[in-house]
Amino acid sequence: MSDQGIKSRPKYAPLELDPAGRHHLLLVEGPALPAEALAEGFEPAAFETWTVVNRSALLPVQVVDAQGESVRPFRAKGHLFSALEERLARETMGLRLYATGSEPFLWDVARIADAAGMSRQEIRLAQAGSKARRVFCVHCRTYGEGVTTSIFTCGGCGASLFVRDHFSRRHAAYMGVQVDAEVPGAVPDAEELYA
Amino acid sequence: MIASGPIPVRIHEIEQLSPTLKRFAFAPLHGGALPTPSAGAHVLVTLRHEGRVMKNAYSLVSPPESRERYEIIVRHVAQSRGGSRFLHQSVARGDVIEIGVPGNLFPLASKARKHLLIAGGIGITPLLSYVPALKARGARFELHQLCTADEAPVFEKLLAPHAAGEDIFIHGNGRAAFDLAGILARQPLGTHVYTCGPRALMDAVITSAAALGWPAGKIHRESFGDASGGLPFKAVLAKSGIEVQVADNQTLLEALEAQGIAAPCLCRGGACGECKLEVLDGEVEHRDDFLSAAEKASQKFIMPCVSRARTAQVVLDF
Amino acid sequence: MTLQFKPNETFRRDFTYRNSSAAILHFPFPFPEDQYMYSVNIEPHVKGGASPAYDHVFDVDEHYVAECRERAQVLAEDPKRCQVLPHMMAAQWDTLELLMENLAADYPAHFSLTKAGDLWTWINRPLGLHQSFTFGKAETLPCPPFEYITRQAQGDFTLQDQREDNLYVDGGMVTTQADWSFEFDIGMSFHEWHGPVPLAHEKGVFDRALKYLLRLQYGAPVRRLNWTMTINPRLDTSPENYPVWGPDKASVTPENVGQKVHLRVELQTLYRLPRSNAILFGIRCYLASLEEVARVPKWGKRLHRVLRDLHPDIEAYKGLPRFRQMAVDYLAPLDDGAELSKGIQSELTAL
Repeated sequence: MSDQGIKSRPKYAPLELDPAGRHHLLLVEGPALPAEALAEGFEPAAFETWTVVNRSALLPVQVVDAQGESVRPFRAKGHLFSALEERLARETMGLRLYATGSEPFLWDVARIADAAGMSRQEIRLAQAGSKARRVFCVHCRTYGEGVTTSIFTCGGCGASLFVRDHFSRRHAAYMGVQVDAEVPGAVPDAEELYA
Repeated sequence: MIASGPIPVRIHEIEQLSPTLKRFAFAPLHGGALPTPSAGAHVLVTLRHEGRVMKNAYSLVSPPESRERYEIIVRHVAQSRGGSRFLHQSVARGDVIEIGVPGNLFPLASKARKHLLIAGGIGITPLLSYVPALKARGARFELHQLCTADEAPVFEKLLAPHAAGEDIFIHGNGRAAFDLAGILARQPLGTHVYTCGPRALMDAVITSAAALGWPAGKIHRESFGDASGGLPFKAVLAKSGIEVQVADNQTLLEALEAQGIAAPCLCRGGACGECKLEVLDGEVEHRDDFLSAAEKASQKFIMPCVSRARTAQVVLDF
Repeated sequence: MTLQFKPNETFRRDFTYRNSSAAILHFPFPFPEDQYMYSVNIEPHVKGGASPAYDHVFDVDEHYVAECRERAQVLAEDPKRCQVLPHMMAAQWDTLELLMENLAADYPAHFSLTKAGDLWTWINRPLGLHQSFTFGKAETLPCPPFEYITRQAQGDFTLQDQREDNLYVDGGMVTTQADWSFEFDIGMSFHEWHGPVPLAHEKGVFDRALKYLLRLQYGAPVRRLNWTMTINPRLDTSPENYPVWGPDKASVTPENVGQKVHLRVELQTLYRLPRSNAILFGIRCYLASLEEVARVPKWGKRLHRVLRDLHPDIEAYKGLPRFRQMAVDYLAPLDDGAELSKGIQSELTAL
């Protein structure tokens, strides 16, 4: 992956249990824990795990499986987010929140946690799966989802946006800036960078 | 407010709260308004007595909107270094003393969803400025004051103006019947805890909270910061042969300037690197953020705006 | 001191903004030396010093009325240029108090503030405003307190919340910025906010600056100068409007470079606020064309040397490649190579 040398781009580390926490909630943007997101010696049984299975015919009920892992499946991300908001509202101090999945998912979780009063010291995030980016058009404020190329066309204002490595945790998105603003029409070829 | 040196104040009022506690109110000597104080702020009070100069930090107990008066509460302690004894025994209404601009190393956390306040004894003082500020912001809080049985009425009286309908609890049996862990364990997500009082109590709060999974950023203890001074020492300027005495309450840079020496400087806070001088002899106590660890270890440089000599003398290539 | 305002100046379309001779001498020229590199160039913000722009806590000059009007226009087009996160309410009142008290004390002919307990009355004569309100009660002002007072000040302002040994940019009024987006950056930590700046991270500049600012004391503000270059006297060079002002960069020619290319200086001031313990960051923008800068011989020569020898990464970050060489060629004949004194002072008393 290219590096534009911009320091706001998050760095992620494989997930490990934070021993300082009293209880541990792990959110997975998928049906199963991705091995790439886990540090060596990771013990899933120490966590209460929520997953996203993208299926309608299920109830979000916590089940303890044969390995002693406690898993609660959700139909979709939005389904999980609403349960998370409700859960955090009645949580007590000592919770640690962990999330793994795509970058937009991670920072959507972080924003919900922030609104519930959690600080960055209480959250751990590990990117896994697609490196596709959410991009915020700085000119018209339209979000572009699943962007995999260095330049793409804004769905809002039609500008050819360069995907800058400048990342906003609040928007859970990279900044998109018109690439041909100085000389209209001079748009370089897009490169596939964030597959 | 832009400060221009210490503020002369007149002792406007002295109230005996208990056999060992007195409240002092200060009013600006030349009228006008004092700097806006903040909840949790302290002032450095300069006391001059029998040729000695003492600088003691005291939390302001007056509410943040009070700019006509500052109030502090001082306990007279037997092993006093002199400041509290002097204030209790030698200061009278109408006397003039000097105070510094309020500083705050114990501020309220703006994003807290709840504030848990735990004080012991006279450690209540910063919380007395917190409570009206929290009430004005409509913030949720819970206050626990630990004290001896005989002082409980004193603290009840101090908190009474704010107490109606609030979660304010006074524990007159000290820590014996105080369920610290239980209180910490049931706090909602987003709570910040603040503690002030005897070191043993503050340590217990910090340790218990950490053990219950509270992150360090949500645990706050009262601090007046490190005194900027240290032991006096002598700086010898090798190029000119000038010797400069650096007093305990003065930086090396200030001592050079007091001698009329135009030493380079910019930020005056150990960050920019402008004032760096080479050390030829003597050992440096580094307090800056500019020099690298290797440069500090080499003992070849000093940042005179913040750092001091650890030896009685340093020789500078200046 | 009474200022002669130039209320009809514009910062867009016909760009009628110009500096008087007095305003040129008032310009805070940013280069104390012939070379430029990032550093922690912070110093106490005390009155007086190398530039007349330091003579007041908040500098007001002949462009005041026109700049306030331009700000109102930007806000009408894009209200999100002013945002303050909800936990910063105390910092909003701190800002209002700091600005009102200092403007009234420094410019009594133009501003006045009277207080009867919580009831404050503010008079802003240049803008024709007379407002009584209750301090601490936002509903007694026509808009929130931070927006109210920063609509009446030159330069941008941001509010930094201090927590977990970091500073977060949790509020701001940003309409005269040098190509950074407040709507995108709001909520960022100190290092994230400065993420795009090249070279300085590696030099440890932001680590040291952050440590220094975390210790910033109430009553003891600090300042630094920063700079870039802007085509035409345009205040709003926001990323939001880059498609509007970007084409200007291709309009510079050797014939118009002296009038079109402006040195853009930010007098940045930082204040610890009392109630909130937040930091107010003032980013006061000054613009002067190359032609205007060069009326001070020392500044023209020094600017030539700085631009000629500028690090390519800084040139690229500041967006100068399309016209830097033309600016150097314009200034070169004015530079006799004479040694120049250290410092930013003009060394002139009149032009």
